[in-house]
Amino acid sequence: MRQVTIALSKGRLTKYSVDLFKKCGIECEGLTADTRKLIIESKNSDYRFLLVKPSDVPTYVEYGIADVGIAGKDTIMESKTSVYEMLDLGFGKCSVCIAGFEQSAKKNITANSLRVATKYPNIAKEYFMEKENIEIIKLNGSVELAPLLGLSDVILDIVETGITLKENGLIILERVCDVSARVIVNRVSLKIKLYEINELLLKIKQVIKEEEEQA
Amino acid sequence: MSISIKKNIPNGVQDYAPLECKNKRSVEESLRKNFELWGYNEVQTPAFEYYDVFAHGIGSYRQEKLIKFIDSDGRILALRPDLTLPIARLVTSTHKDLTFPLRFFYIDDAFGFDNPSARDQRQFTQAGIELIGESSPYADAEVIAMAIESLQVAGLTHFTIDIGQVDYFKGLIEEANLTDKQGEQLRKGIDTKNMIDVENILSDSKIKGELKEKILELPFLYGGEEVLEKAKEFATNERSRRAVENVGKIYEALCSYGYERYLSIDFSMLQEIEYYTGMIFKGYVMELGSPLLGGGRYDSLLAEFGYSSPSTGFALSMKSILIALEKQSGFKENINIDVVVGHDEISSKEAFKFMQKHRSEGKRAASAMGTSCEEILVYAKKIGAKEVYYIKNNQIEAIK
Repeated sequence: MRQVTIALSKGRLTKYSVDLFKKCGIECEGLTADTRKLIIESKNSDYRFLLVKPSDVPTYVEYGIADVGIAGKDTIMESKTSVYEMLDLGFGKCSVCIAGFEQSAKKNITANSLRVATKYPNIAKEYFMEKENIEIIKLNGSVELAPLLGLSDVILDIVETGITLKENGLIILERVCDVSARVIVNRVSLKIKLYEINELLLKIKQVIKEEEEQA
Repeated sequence: MSISIKKNIPNGVQDYAPLECKNKRSVEESLRKNFELWGYNEVQTPAFEYYDVFAHGIGSYRQEKLIKFIDSDGRILALRPDLTLPIARLVTSTHKDLTFPLRFFYIDDAFGFDNPSARDQRQFTQAGIELIGESSPYADAEVIAMAIESLQVAGLTHFTIDIGQVDYFKGLIEEANLTDKQGEQLRKGIDTKNMIDVENILSDSKIKGELKEKILELPFLYGGEEVLEKAKEFATNERSRRAVENVGKIYEALCSYGYERYLSIDFSMLQEIEYYTGMIFKGYVMELGSPLLGGGRYDSLLAEFGYSSPSTGFALSMKSILIALEKQSGFKENINIDVVVGHDEISSKEAFKFMQKHRSEGKRAASAMGTSCEEILVYAKKIGAKEVYYIKNNQIEAIK
């Protein structure tokens, strides 16, 4: 069997991903949610795991450095990479939303486009493309701050529980799409490591099915 | 899935809806009137020219900043990135027929990528003046005075004009015998008040003692009139000394004109020092994070086009003015209609006559396309009309 390299997101999805591969029966002692290692090999060397920044998972997969990756749908959409999106894992569920004040402040006449603060400029661009002209303000965190301080009119961000929004006096104005963790596969790997990857996908599918039945 | 972008506009351009448009035109008109009162004449140059006008020498733009296209004969054309270069070209090619000093103004659109003075706009209206053929400090004072008056007639009340002099720095660099590269690094460090960089550059160079101290003080040479005294103390070389003297005269003149409260001095303002040759200035308001106008003396530019003449001027960003104006005091102009007139089938001629009468009195009169008086009143209210009439069987009746 040829080794399959799997890129995992460090952060929100790490714990779920680690559990998933345990349930798939892959023996890999080093693979824990709090590991500091960046490359971890399974006991029989069938699999190799990479722990990378969430937004980098699609990149590793697109370039074929990793054959398979686990990443949030939001990250995949934002990355605009060309990979196969093969399975919905059902965990890491949340939605991409437009949020802002319930009653929008009186807009300045000289403000000609809606200012959208976001970590996801590509998603924002695509979503508003057919709707209206926007000015994208790219932020890297605490996006909720932007409308509070007048840096933007609204935000586009992922919303899990909505608590952060609520605590900052913001509400969801529009739901862009629902997102969850996905399995992505490199286009060439799927052909060349056909057997190995199909086997892995089957195992994952089985786990998802069992989980669904339990729930 | 194909995306329809028919409703959208590209980045960096905008529509001016009636209210913003009205206020933009009103500010432009006030500026135009004021420029004319100062003896300046308006010029218009083409929206695009040969790329060469903007591509080489002093004042030129980097290739990627210009919006270019190809002429039918294969030559490269570019949309004008500012109005000063076209005017320099115009003056150079027609100078034999002109009477100097020239006083020109313009209110027109310019185009380009990443224009820092116009935020992220790629098409932006600029208003500005050029005073060509005068080298005295009073010419510079005139230009700054006009910049101040421009902001005043536009309706702004709170603003600051920051005056600098690039020759002061150039004198120190000469004195220090720095290479061009070191000089440029130092300029950047001082302009951005990056003290760590400035100190590193100085310790790498051979500059020692008093001169080093002076350069280290340069980033802090800003403030009120007292800065002039301090700068004079530091100026041991002829070039820097003359630069301080020059700013002193300009400052003094402006104070005597009554503009003191708007002024500040900054010898560490060091942008575009290739382009500017003497006094430079920028205008700021609290409401905006970037300057809304800028200008200075650019004595070497015209020579680039083949005719040498001392020049000074400024340009302001219309969009910045409008944003500042709306935030400072709100827009003055509205788009209300004064008189609304509705009529029945047979009274159209009477309605026309009636509206023309109002129009001749300078009132804005529009006909209402409603059938009932209720409909007309709703429409009239929405467009802010104070007088509403309905003409039935050629009888005029005021319904509001």
